[in-house]
Amino acid sequence: MNGTVIEKIIEEKAGRKIEVGEKILLPLDLVVMRDFGGPNVIKKYVKKFGEEKPLDASKIAFTFDLHLPARQIKEAENQKACREFAKKYGIKVFDVNNGIGQHTLLENGLIKPGDIIIGTDSHMNLLGAANSFSTGVGTTDIVAGMRFGKTWFKVPETIKINVEGELNKGIYAKDVILNIVKEMGSDGASYKAVEFYGDVIEKMNMAARITMASMVTEMDGKISFFPMNETAMDELRKYTDFQKVYNADENAEYAEEYTIETPSSPQIACPHSPDNVKSIEEVEGVEIQQAFIGSCTNGRLEDLREAARILKGRKVKKSARLIIGPASWEVYRDAMREGLLDIFIEAGGVIINPGCGPCLGAHQGILASGETAISTTNRNFQGRMGSPESFVYLASPATVAASAIEGKIADPRKYLR
Amino acid sequence: MGRVWKFGDDVNTDVIYPGYALKVTEPDEMAKYAFAEVYPEFSERVNKGDIIVAGKNFGCGSSREQAALCLKYVGISCVIAKSFARIFYRNAINIGLPVIELKETDEINEGDEIEVDMEEGIIRNVTQGKEYKIKPYPEIIKKIIDAGGLIKYLKEGKNV
Repeated sequence: MNGTVIEKIIEEKAGRKIEVGEKILLPLDLVVMRDFGGPNVIKKYVKKFGEEKPLDASKIAFTFDLHLPARQIKEAENQKACREFAKKYGIKVFDVNNGIGQHTLLENGLIKPGDIIIGTDSHMNLLGAANSFSTGVGTTDIVAGMRFGKTWFKVPETIKINVEGELNKGIYAKDVILNIVKEMGSDGASYKAVEFYGDVIEKMNMAARITMASMVTEMDGKISFFPMNETAMDELRKYTDFQKVYNADENAEYAEEYTIETPSSPQIACPHSPDNVKSIEEVEGVEIQQAFIGSCTNGRLEDLREAARILKGRKVKKSARLIIGPASWEVYRDAMREGLLDIFIEAGGVIINPGCGPCLGAHQGILASGETAISTTNRNFQGRMGSPESFVYLASPATVAASAIEGKIADPRKYLR
Repeated sequence: MGRVWKFGDDVNTDVIYPGYALKVTEPDEMAKYAFAEVYPEFSERVNKGDIIVAGKNFGCGSSREQAALCLKYVGISCVIAKSFARIFYRNAINIGLPVIELKETDEINEGDEIEVDMEEGIIRNVTQGKEYKIKPYPEIIKKIIDAGGLIKYLKEGKNV
């Protein structure tokens, strides 16, 4: 068939010809819930199905990535409920020593090209970087997915985005995607899949692709895909075996097509919306009290390396706190072996458990009223990282590292000479 | 027929259902938190069958299903918006809360009396005497809503 990536994935699962816009029931390869959404799922599952078994326990997983380890009795009870339910049915639990769900699943070889995955996390779709169709859903979808192994989807239209230009010094995938979110707007890709093309995209490693893919949520995109070239396949093979990958056909039809240049300066999303993006020159000098490097968007080893490059031999400003959260324990350990953690500690940074906590003001690094943070995370809605009277700026790991040194939003390029 | 509650663009899930209430599991209590932070009297003033009319991207933000559930539990019969955020849309369908896309929501005012006829695919603004054509739901969505949600639909075994 001639189709876009999402059309080819869905058509293969459906086993028949499909039409764009069609609503269709599809089998699920993996159903994922977290220590946060999990307890609601269990409650609803038991209410609807009592003692009936999930269809296939091997296609279900719990990923604990929010309150790690538990800080309150309520959270401890929630985690206990997940563990007990999982044990009863033989479901995998990636417990408090694993990290952010999507990254953990990827590193454990549970994600293959063409897989259809649902999870209780609006950033599940970052796994598009691994050529899978993975998407965030609510409790009911998860309950239905566990019991029946399927749920409904709309076959989305696809937007093609050609990225032109080079990545100059101090410009990273995060800057590229922030600029794209600015151009597309907070609902610019609503109900749609996105495919990224261009020389700069071809060269992007998995970490950079994950950064791009996670931010597609912030323009309400359903999923995004990247050309699966040899390098991308080699990277994915480190984690899992697979037979085939899904690339769009040359005559695939797109609903919209855009060409967007790589930005010439580091990009910053300003409060209180991820599409309120400005160039560093416009926001330099804004004082910050907290700098966070991590999250599902920018917590991979490559991200930590960029931050370490800038922080090496330098100190975090006294008026600011630097918090580092590796995406997973694999990243954590690799960062330790490479000496990156040493650099962060020497600089005065705080290293926290791999997890999602600070990004959504859930754990470890909550902002007080009047405080401002610069963060490598994906969302800066009002109150996202704590007090409704706090402010969050989103940027690349390099920009956040430079800002931590100065205690104010700073251009990373001066540290990269 | 229902009375209109009018909202603007980009109404996010934190506004519809505050994060601190995510631990609530009882329907009656969940209903109380609908728009609790921005519109504290909302849940008391809503009548059963009332309709929310909004601008673009209704329900953007997190995947929390409570954002759709609290509206259903508080008595909202239907949400009409220029467009919906993806996850909110599917959550609403899955729990059996009708969601309808209509480009002309700017023409509808707070307090208007509205009638939604899904069978005929027509929205009637009784107050203004206007009618709007709406696209019928695709068959599978119609079946899910008719069954009262995704789980009931799948339980009935009417699988494609």
